[in-house]
Amino acid sequence: MELWEAIKGRRSVRRFTERPVERERLERLVEAAVWAPSGGNAQTWRFVVLTTRNSVRRLKAVSPGLLGDPPALVAVCQDLAEVRRRGGTLGETFLAPVDAAMAAQNLLLAAHAEGLGTCVIASFHRGGVARLLGLEAAVEPILLVSVGWAAETPSPPPRREGRVAFTEVRQDVR
Amino acid sequence: MSADREQELFDLVGYMVTSARNLLDEPPLYGPFRLLDSASRLIAILEETGAASPRLLALRGRIEAGKYSVMGEETAFRAFLDDLVNALVDVMIGKQEGK
Repeated sequence: MELWEAIKGRRSVRRFTERPVERERLERLVEAAVWAPSGGNAQTWRFVVLTTRNSVRRLKAVSPGLLGDPPALVAVCQDLAEVRRRGGTLGETFLAPVDAAMAAQNLLLAAHAEGLGTCVIASFHRGGVARLLGLEAAVEPILLVSVGWAAETPSPPPRREGRVAFTEVRQDVR
Repeated sequence: MSADREQELFDLVGYMVTSARNLLDEPPLYGPFRLLDSASRLIAILEETGAASPRLLALRGRIEAGKYSVMGEETAFRAFLDDLVNALVDVMIGKQEGK
């Protein structure tokens, strides 16, 4: 798939078919995720992959943003102890979520190239999800990504205009 | 009540309780969306038990058709909610007129 098509063709999908997602496909998605850049090459992320609809469904009780019934889900997490050790305060307050988001974007595009639908979810209770996933104390879920075969083709929302400026440094700067 | 039904209701209550907590920190428009989605999920459970009336099912159909307008412009979501309330009132008036 052409990169440009992947970027423009990806949609947030919230309705999925019953068809399960093969483990090999999920492994490819996570491989794409770990090839994302990370601040200071920290790679402090952790990925927890749920591969059954029932398992995903259990998370819904504490994840209001998890809509539809996806057959698989990837929790993009950060090991905050390692984040602090490698990145200090900048790592904890800024790089951890940014790195998670860049990894998630890679995952979304790879999923789209596989023909899969995805949706990024930030609306969930971090503590609740961490407990249900049995995460280690220092590992915190940053984003959830639902994964499945789309049962809908959402229209692309229009892009907001006037958000880009091509410019130069001020002329009075010496 | 069957175990499956209890699980569905438990999950719905969990969704509502977690929403209450998360909405303290989330975009204001998520509040009406969660209420709307809760209503839809409740009707879906009632449908499975055979307890959903035609007007409830019709309401759910309208909710599902338009609830994601929350992701677009606020004016469109606001208009959708107004239409939904008006449709609800139409049903209520129709029922009264039918008496």
